[in-house]
Amino acid sequence: MTSIDIKAHRNRIENINALPTVPSTLKRISAIIEKPKLTIDELSHFIANDPALASRVLKMVNSAIYGFPGRISSISHAIMLLGLNVVKGLLLGTSIFEIMQKVMKGLWDHSLGCAVACRVIAEKLGLKYPEEVSVAGLLHDLGKVILILEYQKAYEEAIVDAKEKGIAISEAERVHFQETHAAVGMWLSQKWRLPVNLIDVMAYHHRPTAAKFAPLETAIVHFSDILVRARGLGFAGDPYVPAVHPVAFEMLRLSDDDIRDVLAKMDDSLEQTADLSEL
Amino acid sequence: MSKVPVDKLKPGMKLSRPLVAKGGMVLLGEGTELTEKWIDRIADMDVEGIFIDGPSEQSEPLEENLARLDARFRSVAREPHMGRLKQIVKNYIEDLYDKH
Repeated sequence: MTSIDIKAHRNRIENINALPTVPSTLKRISAIIEKPKLTIDELSHFIANDPALASRVLKMVNSAIYGFPGRISSISHAIMLLGLNVVKGLLLGTSIFEIMQKVMKGLWDHSLGCAVACRVIAEKLGLKYPEEVSVAGLLHDLGKVILILEYQKAYEEAIVDAKEKGIAISEAERVHFQETHAAVGMWLSQKWRLPVNLIDVMAYHHRPTAAKFAPLETAIVHFSDILVRARGLGFAGDPYVPAVHPVAFEMLRLSDDDIRDVLAKMDDSLEQTADLSEL
Repeated sequence: MSKVPVDKLKPGMKLSRPLVAKGGMVLLGEGTELTEKWIDRIADMDVEGIFIDGPSEQSEPLEENLARLDARFRSVAREPHMGRLKQIVKNYIEDLYDKH
């Protein structure tokens, strides 16, 4: 068995630009979004100067994930409408998409389904910025992407272990890496200066009551993650539905009809976003 | 709503999303009922499929789908709320088949 103490590798992971397996697009995106005083102008220039990236970002904002179908035509409009933090998240979304397609295809469907469920639930609960919750859902498994990419052999063993022992992938990660993808996602999101709410979601989507800044958003992502698995969409590392945290679930006060509605919107959106796979 | 390939379109189907040309112009509005003529025109365009009202065709038998659901929930079915959640998903899946 390959066992790695990932905590000892924290510096290495945070220094993502030096990791040999990380694609150059993600490195460039990482370098811009970690800037301490990033302005809207700087970010829209960066995106607009790369036509392939710009078209990917526009395709994403106009997809069912965000609920503005076909209405956003320019990068500056997207940033005005969604805000700097959501666009930072989206940029990461487009580049992790590229990696997921190569290393773990089902994780993209899992992440997309989760993003849609998050938006629908956030809208039902009347949250002010449902797009931010949706980005959190899209990126919640970011840590997995980096682990698979950089420690492929150990991660594949963890996947086999989870299936054979009937345990969650995060438990198997703990065996093989001493920590889970939630911690890895948190390290990176801190480095990238993502908003505290997003860091909370990344770190605590398996233990939602530990969230300090965004307990409600974390509860939404926690439940959406479970609902996508319950519906059997995508693949997130193991074939099982984990138990929902009762306190987090009760916080959402969703009726049976609400949940059915989320399921229907999730299915619809995944069919519509099937063309995102040509991103 | 489901995406139907162009060669499977039939008169009487209704568009669940507008058909938009590459330049952004709406060619057929949402809710348009397809006729032979529209289907011929669409076949001449460079599109893969059209979004049509109604649930998509289910590709696997209901029993298999429900067996996979059972397998996914195997170890948590007795945890708080999980029985209810499983029932909601189960009803939802069964309804997808009923509509056909």
